[in-house]
Amino acid sequence: MTHKRASVKRPPTPVADQVHAHSSQQLTLQEIINIKLIESGEKERLKELLRERLIECGWRDEMKALCRAFTRRKGRNNVTVDDLVHVITPKGRASVPDSVKAELLQSIRSFLASAI
Amino acid sequence: MSSKINRHHYHHRFNAQIFPPPCPHLAEFRARNGSKPFRALQDCLRAKSPGGRAAIRRDPSEVPRCGACGESARPRLYACVACAAISCHAPPGPSHAAVHATSMPPGHEIAVDVDRAELFCCACRDQIYDRDFDAAVVLSQITTLNSATIQSTKPENLRKRRRVDYRPWSPDLRDRVLMESGSSPLDYGSDMPRGLRGLNNLGNTCFMNSVLQALLHTPPLRNYFLSDRHNRYYCKQKNGVTNTNADGKRNACTGDGNGEKNARLCLACDMDAMFSAVFSGDRRPYSPAKFLYSWWQHASNLASYEQQDAHEFFISMLDGIHEKVEKDLRKPHNQGHGDCCIAHRVFSGILRSDVMCMACGFTSTTYDPCVDISLDLESHHGGSAKSASTKTHHSCNGEADSINSGQNCGISTLMGCLDRFTRPERLGADQKFFCQQCQVRQESLKQMSIRKLPLVSCFHIKRFEHSSIRKMSRKIDRYLQFPFSLDMTPYLSSSILRSRFGNRIFPFDGDEPDASNEMSSEFELFAVVTHTGKLDAGHYVTYLRLSNQWYKCDDAWVTQVNENIVRAAQGYMIFYVQKMFYYKPSENQVAS
Ligand SMILES: [Zn+2]
Ligand SMILES: [Zn+2]
Ligand SMILES: [Zn+2]
Ligand SMILES: [Zn+2]
Ligand SMILES: [Zn+2]
Ligand SMILES: [Zn+2]
Repeated sequence: MTHKRASVKRPPTPVADQVHAHSSQQLTLQEIINIKLIESGEKERLKELLRERLIECGWRDEMKALCRAFTRRKGRNNVTVDDLVHVITPKGRASVPDSVKAELLQSIRSFLASAI
Repeated sequence: MSSKINRHHYHHRFNAQIFPPPCPHLAEFRARNGSKPFRALQDCLRAKSPGGRAAIRRDPSEVPRCGACGESARPRLYACVACAAISCHAPPGPSHAAVHATSMPPGHEIAVDVDRAELFCCACRDQIYDRDFDAAVVLSQITTLNSATIQSTKPENLRKRRRVDYRPWSPDLRDRVLMESGSSPLDYGSDMPRGLRGLNNLGNTCFMNSVLQALLHTPPLRNYFLSDRHNRYYCKQKNGVTNTNADGKRNACTGDGNGEKNARLCLACDMDAMFSAVFSGDRRPYSPAKFLYSWWQHASNLASYEQQDAHEFFISMLDGIHEKVEKDLRKPHNQGHGDCCIAHRVFSGILRSDVMCMACGFTSTTYDPCVDISLDLESHHGGSAKSASTKTHHSCNGEADSINSGQNCGISTLMGCLDRFTRPERLGADQKFFCQQCQVRQESLKQMSIRKLPLVSCFHIKRFEHSSIRKMSRKIDRYLQFPFSLDMTPYLSSSILRSRFGNRIFPFDGDEPDASNEMSSEFELFAVVTHTGKLDAGHYVTYLRLSNQWYKCDDAWVTQVNENIVRAAQGYMIFYVQKMFYYKPSENQVAS
């Protein structure tokens, strides 16, 4: 990626350094797990699995319908993605079937058992 | 990539939606960055697996994290397209992406989602679309690894044999005047809609009667025959004349023997006769004996014809109509006519099949015409779950595994079947395909989608399983829910490709949603052929929807029924017509 430093008053470099310091010292267990999940490609697989399950059980269609309804109410040009995320997230979280959560949890557990 | 911003691009139609113009920040960004504003990003675009989703990574093993807070687990991380800084965005929580956009000089508003490779404006807090960017993403997805290419054969090149160009016909002024002067309105003075007439059972012929009832009330087919577009007297005369011309001798009209018999065999003529009889107003059950006889002559030529199956009958009778017309089309005065027979103009659609090499991403695309879609009722694990009948060849991938009792999510639905039909399916080690790029047999991913919707969609539910290994057949009595209105948009090639590549503005390999599909992806149910009873001792009954009222056609008996009875019925062939052909209100009107 080319950095156009000439036009940038505050280049991102110092921020990057800060991150480096941060990551070497105080990585929580959760962060370590997250990094392992990403590096192994497991996170992507889990996401794909989740995506598939949510489609199968109709969750996605339900969310789509909610988004449509919201967009229709507010007018197509007055809705941003952030608005949608804001309205849908609580409902979306609450309506994920327990069976899907259980399956995903099981997959994460077995990954952890094999990785750590 | 085009070098100038073409305003038209932004008003590109996409699945019946018109994109809004770019936000001022994107317009500004493009104006400032010349011809290739996303050039720097291009090197960071990575698809995780061949054909997988595109993501943004500076190097393949990078774990992206927010430059401000170090967080890597946030659901949305954005890379600034001006300086590559990665920021988190977790509304209503912190948004370092928004902070980045405002704390930097103008030009740092546009960012790209690192996991989805989609553009976002951090100032507008909204998704934005750019044709050049999308083209770059799709290109990177297609060319993962060995710079694979999508190779495709356009339908026109592949099969010249069957043309499937629809030319919806509507009468022009002259036609209208002719029709009005030459016909009188049908008048029944009864509460039953016109054309409802029982068909006598001629000895185990309910398989035929059930399909005929559906065809007699297939709106575009009915319109065709009732507007006299295949006139049996004219057809007969025309064929007689041509025969005379061909061999210079008279042998048509009064001649006897085989030659004459074949010349007379025209299923469309028999359909024409049947339409006349059924819509005559006479309510006594009609005996389609002449039709049965003609069809029998046609079908006796078919080697693998399986009697008593309504679906097989449907396929063979469409072929019968087609063959006759094709023969006629070879005559000089009809050549160069793009249209196929009425059967195919009504029922033919085009399926698209993509087979992608799992090793290199090379994708081979083929297009096949089909007259119906055969759907599996069970959720097989692994086995091929799809087949569409093309021409007489009707593939029946038998060896279906025993029923998996642990079906997912309860009731089977038609939409569920269609989802499975269009879902990418991994062809395992036993079904390797030859990859032109790797030059060896490889495992592959196969995905079906609908390139072109027919005017009338017939879904054949595979309730009869024939196992060639176990030398046995069985019937699946599972309930299948079907909607009265069906939107086919999710199963179109344009939608399938869009979900493969994400939300992009890009003409996918010529499978841009074309206007005809956009207009016509909404369908209405009008006929359900059901089968009850055992495999070989069953009975076919058809439910018809006319003027939004349901009628049960059980051979000679026609009765009005409640729609709940239809919903509960075991659908074997389910017929939908494009909504614009399903005239709910006009069904009641008597032409005046
Ligand atoms: Zn942050
Ligand atoms: Zn920036
Ligand atoms: Zn903006
Ligand atoms: Zn004819
Ligand atoms: Zn044809
Ligand atoms: Zn290959």
